[in-house]
Amino acid sequence: MSTRVIEQTRGFSREAAVELSHLLGEPEWLRQRRLAAWEVYERTPMPSRTDEEWRRTDIRRLPLDAVWPYTGLGQRVNSPEALPTALVEILGDAALRSGLLVQVDGSGVYTQLDSELARRGVIFTDLLTAAREVPKLVQQFFMTEAVTIQDNKFAALHGAFWSSGTFLYVPAGVEIALPLRSFVWAETPGAAIFAHTLVLAEPGANVVLIDTWASPTVEEPLIASNVVELIVQESAQVRYIQLQDWGRSVWNFTTQRGLLYQDAILNTLNVSLGSRLSKAFIASNLVGPGATAEMLGLYFADDAQHLDHQTRQWHVAPYATSDLLYKGALKDRARTVFSGLIKVFPQAQRTDAYQANRNLILSSTARADTIPNLEIGANDVRCTHGATVGQVEEEYIFYLMSRGISRPEAVRLIVDGFFDEVIERVPVHEVQETVRTAIARKIGL
Amino acid sequence: MAEHTPLFMIENLHAGIEGKEILRGVNLVIERGEIHALMGPNGSGKSTLAYVIAGHPNYEVYEGRILYKGENVLELPADERARMGMFLAFQYPTAIPGVTMANFLRLAVNAVRKARSGEDKALTPREFRRLLREKLEMLRIDETFASRYLNEGFSGGEKKRAEILQMAMLEPEFAVLDETDSGLDIDALRTVADGVNQLFNPNMALLVITHYQRILNYLRPHYVHVMLDGKITISGGPELAEELEQKGYDWVKTQHVGTAS
Repeated sequence: MSTRVIEQTRGFSREAAVELSHLLGEPEWLRQRRLAAWEVYERTPMPSRTDEEWRRTDIRRLPLDAVWPYTGLGQRVNSPEALPTALVEILGDAALRSGLLVQVDGSGVYTQLDSELARRGVIFTDLLTAAREVPKLVQQFFMTEAVTIQDNKFAALHGAFWSSGTFLYVPAGVEIALPLRSFVWAETPGAAIFAHTLVLAEPGANVVLIDTWASPTVEEPLIASNVVELIVQESAQVRYIQLQDWGRSVWNFTTQRGLLYQDAILNTLNVSLGSRLSKAFIASNLVGPGATAEMLGLYFADDAQHLDHQTRQWHVAPYATSDLLYKGALKDRARTVFSGLIKVFPQAQRTDAYQANRNLILSSTARADTIPNLEIGANDVRCTHGATVGQVEEEYIFYLMSRGISRPEAVRLIVDGFFDEVIERVPVHEVQETVRTAIARKIGL
Repeated sequence: MAEHTPLFMIENLHAGIEGKEILRGVNLVIERGEIHALMGPNGSGKSTLAYVIAGHPNYEVYEGRILYKGENVLELPADERARMGMFLAFQYPTAIPGVTMANFLRLAVNAVRKARSGEDKALTPREFRRLLREKLEMLRIDETFASRYLNEGFSGGEKKRAEILQMAMLEPEFAVLDETDSGLDIDALRTVADGVNQLFNPNMALLVITHYQRILNYLRPHYVHVMLDGKITISGGPELAEELEQKGYDWVKTQHVGTAS
């Protein structure tokens, strides 16, 4: 496993974007898009705390000029064993997946897909390869429908500096039983990370994708600016699970949007454990009648972590359902922000939307803010929301202790129980185990 | 001859909550193999006594001692008391969302067993399941109970049965049953009482706290105590419970005032 380091200067610039395009040897249309994204980035003001969306998340110290705009070009490996050891350890059980895609430092380095699925037309590869092999699909769907460079400044930056990504295309009617797994691993200190996931599920397709983003903790700050696009066409079903476990020097920005066409089902789980600061925009746009979005979130902030989730349930079409549940725990001096909006457009009659955010505070120095919102333009809808911030009930602890369980064990049991409501709703055993282990690690027992 | 140490003893206990004294000098001695009933009207301090015995942190002890196997347990946190073999079946068990009965019981059983056997010996998952199944059958509790969240959405009767299930799993040497009969219909009461009777053995002791005489038809006490205003004012044999049932607590009050004056 080696990475070829490229000469470059720190900070982002048009020249750097041009140079990256050249290094990647990409076609002209991609180069044009990259430069268009750079222009949007340049003319979009840097968010500040006077913007409502950024009021509680301070990025004044974001080291934009200190990071390398892209890393080296990772070399492909022939087997997962040749990957970095720390990454190999989290790859999971090969028998439990039908495909594996690994990106290291901004390059696709390993791809594997069940041959039967490949034969049926499933494409699971890195984005650059996809752009070369199925340019029409990439041209049509890459940052055009779900997330665009206009979304926010970090999506624009992403459009200018992405170098790889997870591309998953499931043709009409193809149902994939075992999950596909994608890993984005970053280990070059001080480098920017641009994780991209583009899922296109054609009518009637069915797929589970588990996306893991991780990096070892290093001294130098890193910036990750990611985009996730989930396009779920008529009657297709996608389950997307994202485990964000970056090292503690990462400033993480994610823009994720699901597009749901008629009768489509999208189940998402966003697990946020890592990074120093994270701002994630997570949206489901229900554009087809009868679509169903389940949006689950689980976050656990410790030390001085700052995790901010901004969710959107965008009801454009009638008869659609969205059900959001985000649960978070905080300890030490951590801070979390949740702001969620259910927006129902005038034509979206018979919308059924639910939104809940629950926070469990484990120390007196942690702070959780939760801001639920409804914006309802139709008159025949059912929308409910709820938000809570609470501490571990002393009565729970006493009850457990009265049965011989020690105080720390009691707290762990209660926190596990708190998250169980979310974990139980994601019927992927390997993910459940991974998340439970991560929670135990966070609690520190 | 070595001095005899009772299993459980309360000496001149004064305790309360938020500075308000509720127990005003309780004395009680309980030996192995005995069932004691503690009766009294609402507000007399019965449940406070149960919480103080179990070690609820909100209660304050102003004076006195609680000796279990000769050791003053008042300084010990609730979990240590439980690991020594003490148990309280709560009047109002706490519901804990997300924590399954089985997970909870496994942790509790292993914590208590390890402490009492003095070695690091957890039950294997298989041994645990066998033990749980056996106790569920004994108490005629449905197996699905184990996968439900602790007391969440349980009916009154289910909660009480779950408490006795915990007692059955933990095999305490000294158990306090706080109003285990309240809120139970006669069939549920009989099931719960049958369960307790099966668990009872000459090596352990029970303190049954109740407002009514009803449960004592099933759990035959050796001694009956009546608590009034934070003190045990009368003690006697099982006939005292029947007398109370006929004459009511007012009768005790007049008796008490009579003896005190």
